[in-house]
Order: sequence, then structure tokens, then C-alpha cells
Amino acid sequence: MPAIIEIKNVTKEFRVLNRREGLKGSIKDLFSRNYKTVRAVDNISMTIEQGEIVGYLGPNGAGKSTTIKMMTGVLEPTSGEILTNGIIPYANRAKNAQEIGVVFGQRSQLWWALPLVESFRILKDIYQISDEKYDGMLELYKSLVDIEPLLHKPVRQMSLGQRTLSDILAAFLHDPKIVFLDEPTIGLDVSMKSKIRTLIQALNREKNTTVILTTHDMGDVDALCRRIVIIDKGKMLYDNDIEHLKSFFGSYRTLKIRTVGELASQAESIKKELPEFSVTADDEWISVLVDEERSKVIDVLGQLQKSHKIKDMQLEEISTEEVIKKIYEEGVV
Amino acid sequence: MNLKKYVTLTKAGIIESLQFRLGTFVLAVGNILYLIVVYYLWKAIYASAGSETVNGMTFSDTLIYLVLATALFNFMEMYTVWEMGRSIQSGKIVLELLKPMKYRSYLFWTYSGQFVTNFFFTFLPTFIAVAVVTHGAVHMGLNLLFFVISVIMAISLNYSINFIVGTICVYTESIWGINIMKQVIVLLLSGATIPLAFFPEPLRTIAYYLPFQSIYNAPLSILLDAHPDPKELAATLGTQLLWCILTALISKLFWKVSLRRITVNGG
Repeated sequence: MPAIIEIKNVTKEFRVLNRREGLKGSIKDLFSRNYKTVRAVDNISMTIEQGEIVGYLGPNGAGKSTTIKMMTGVLEPTSGEILTNGIIPYANRAKNAQEIGVVFGQRSQLWWALPLVESFRILKDIYQISDEKYDGMLELYKSLVDIEPLLHKPVRQMSLGQRTLSDILAAFLHDPKIVFLDEPTIGLDVSMKSKIRTLIQALNREKNTTVILTTHDMGDVDALCRRIVIIDKGKMLYDNDIEHLKSFFGSYRTLKIRTVGELASQAESIKKELPEFSVTADDEWISVLVDEERSKVIDVLGQLQKSHKIKDMQLEEISTEEVIKKIYEEGVV
Repeated sequence: MNLKKYVTLTKAGIIESLQFRLGTFVLAVGNILYLIVVYYLWKAIYASAGSETVNGMTFSDTLIYLVLATALFNFMEMYTVWEMGRSIQSGKIVLELLKPMKYRSYLFWTYSGQFVTNFFFTFLPTFIAVAVVTHGAVHMGLNLLFFVISVIMAISLNYSINFIVGTICVYTESIWGINIMKQVIVLLLSGATIPLAFFPEPLRTIAYYLPFQSIYNAPLSILLDAHPDPKELAATLGTQLLWCILTALISKLFWKVSLRRITVNGG
């Protein structure tokens, strides 16, 4: 399969003014030339092939969006090389834009006051989509989701879920080679999330569109991606298929409980009772990380119930943050 | 060049602005209030001057000029600086930069629908009202044709100036002060609020050498001059054209340089 995105040793640095505090500091800042350089992306390389769905993960501020902005041509890398569809994105932004689609979870590219179908018609003209292709795409959309009621609804009257769905459809409308989805499921309920995942998967399969997905939701990754790339503090930590990572982390669950009694002292006593587990506490929950291959969550819970009165409990899949923490602590081959 | 791409944005702008009917009405009422103030203000000025004509203009000359200037302002005014500043601040500009078009033309054509609605809802009614009420103070002849040409250049010039000022937001990331300053300078030096004839001699000379008078003063003087001196007409239009080209070039260049600096916010 041909490579559609090639990234070689890309670094992006921003110059940020060193701000001082207080009124006096703020006034001094007006004349300050004291800049510091922040390296948002540090020497990243990867190759992505046509039709792949790649999960691009990392905590907030890891440099995900910066990388995406470089791939789309909005930002120019400080050093290194990026090629998408064989062209340099920032040098040919308009040309590159013709071949890509974007969805930024918190922003909409749709015309706020207009019904969705009007937005589609405008995009049809802007991207110069032929009638035939446009009708074909609408047919495909109709077969995948129930868009008929959405088409005639002004975007500003839509719920967040409907709007995100519409934005995704809009991004795929001109049949781009690559679609960038930046946290598409942020703030959505479970049923909408699964609807959107199914849609992305179907569009990827039908059109062989390459999808770059950034998310904090491991559920998205599980449902969609075969390959994941993890970055943190601008550096690439991991680039491999998800099975590999799963064999490493997949059996971990976080058991969160709330008990009767003061939280801190309860957490201390649980730590003593379960020396072989990692126990942490925040303001609300006491969390126990359980490796299901070694011991069952239900057994841990049973053991805890003997000595503590449990008010409430939750079971969580391991989060991206925890994955990264573990990668740091133990390393991945 | 594919024209459809651009016209579709105009169309969207028209539909979009028609969605907000109430806004149109409020604008119209605000306008009438403004014109009432202008009427009494200039009436007082002429009363205190004690003569029929001040600076070569009669009271009705001045009033006709100012009413048409207001109508023209409502028709041509763009909130580009505001729009750009907000886009840059919020980071929304990413989406606009990712359209398969140049940002400068994308923004213009997105806005162009407003010209069409404003023309029919504010300029044309005012123009007709003035023409009817004053019984032929506005000459209906070839001057209308030149007026249209002049207005088209004025729109382009106004946009370029707005775009240049908006680009400054890339560096400052703040809009309010810059926008107000631009507004005041343009409104005063273009002759939109006070006819240039009322300016003291040195200021008037300065105003004539600046691009701003080509936005409002030029088209209005063409419209109101029934028998223009061909030489003068050519000079007015020529000056406009010159400023159009110059500011367009500057705005394109400035944007190109500034774009490299954009560190889109958010995310």
C-alpha cells in the first residue's frame, strides 16, 4: 500500500514571551524581549498508509493538535519534512485542503444559521464536487445514518451530538483522501459515541479514507484503530498496533470505591491490606489498579468488603494517562 | 477561476442575513434616530453660521450628502477586523484556513452576501427616498454609472484596509482598540461623518492625499455632481483605482508574511 502521509524528523517550536506577575510585571512585559522557546513537537517520524485508521493519543498539551495542524498545512514545521499526498502541506495549503477533511470536536465548520443541507450545498460548490458524486455521497449517508431529519434543521438548533455527526459527514463530503478527527466524541453520551464510531468505521471502509483520530477516550481507540501512536511532551513514545499494547495493558482495570469513614485514613488502611496492588486516592475515590490476569476484580472487592463498608463503586478501563504513565515507568518494547 | 465557488458564498451570506429579520429592523430604527440627530445638529450649525451657504454647501446640500453617506456606510461597512480578530483569538481560523481557497478571498466572499441584502434593504430605499423628497437634487444620468463603478472600487478599497488592520490582530491578539481606532480614522477622513468641504484647509489637503476619502467622498461627489468636469472625474476614479491596487497588494503581502507567524490558539 502506498504511503499517504510521510513525516520525517519533524520538530515544531513556539516562541513564548516570559510573562511576569502582578501589575508591575505586566507593564514591564510590554517592553520585554525575554522569550523562551517551547518545543511542542520533538523529532517525530511516522509513515501512514492509505486507508489506515490511526489513533493519535497523548495527554492534554502533548503536541497532538500541533502535529495535526502541521499535517493539514496550517502550521509550518520548524524543521523536518512532511508530505501528504506527495505535496508539502504548508506550501500548498489550498491544494492540500482539497484532499483532506477535518473535524475539530469543539468547533464546527458548518454555517451556523443555515439548515445542514445548505451547508452541504455550499461545500459542494467550494470543493467543486460533481452532482453525481454529491448525490452518491448523500445516498451513502442515508444508508448509514438517519440524516433526513437533520438535513433541514439549522445547525444552531442541533444538539452537540447531532452537530458532531453533521460535521463528520461534512468532512467526508468531498471524498477526501485523509480525514483528521480531533476529539470527535468529546462531551457526547454513550449511545452517540457508538453511533459516531460506527459511522467513521463505515466511511473508512466504503471510501478507503485514511483517518487520523486524536482522542482521550480509549473506547474510541478500541472500536476504531488498529494502529496507535502515543506522544507526550512532544516526543513519540509508541507507534505500533493496538494488539501489542493490549497484551501489555489490556488486562488492567481500575476499581474505584467510596467507603464510609474519612477518605485519607481509609485509603491508608486499604494500601496496607493490599500491598501487591497500586492504590491511589483523590478527593472522591480510592482507586485500585487490578491486573485481571493475576487476580479478579470481584475477589478484590470481596476482600475489601470484609473490612470496609463500601458506599459506591465504579469499574474503569485503563485511561490514556495511565497507559502513558506505565510506559514511562516500565517502557514498551 | 471557478466563479461558482465564490457566488455560492455570496448566496449563503444572503440566506444567512435574511435569517435574522429582527436585526434588520433594529438597524433601520437606529438609522432613523441617527439621521434625526444629524438633521438637528446641522440645522443648529447653519443657524449659528447665519448665512445660507457654509463652505460652499447649502443646508440641503449638506443634509443630502450626509443622508447618502450614512446609507452608503450601512451598505459598505464590513466588520472584517472584528471577524478576523475573533477567528484568530478563538482559533476558529484553522477551519477557514483549511478551505480550498485563499483566506483573503474566502473572507470577502463570505461577507459579500451582506452587500446584496444591505443594498436592497438600506441603500436603495434611502436613495429613492432622497431622490423623491428633494425633486431632482440627485441627477439621474451618466453619473449613476460612474457612481456604480466608484462604489465597486470603494468596496474593494475598504475591504483591503479592513484586511490590513485585521491582520494586525495576528500580532496583538486583541481587537477592540485597533478596531475603534480604524473606525474613527476612516469615518472622519473618508468624509462619512463630516463633508470634507468643512475641514480646515491643511487637514483637507492631507485627507485628499490619503486613501480614505476614496471610500466615501469619491463615490458621493460623483453621484451628486450633475455636470462633472471629465478631467476631474477621471482624476477621482483614477485615484481610487490606484489606491485599490496599492492596498490590495499591501494587504496580500502583509497577510502572507503574517500567516507564517500564526500560532493558532487552542487545542
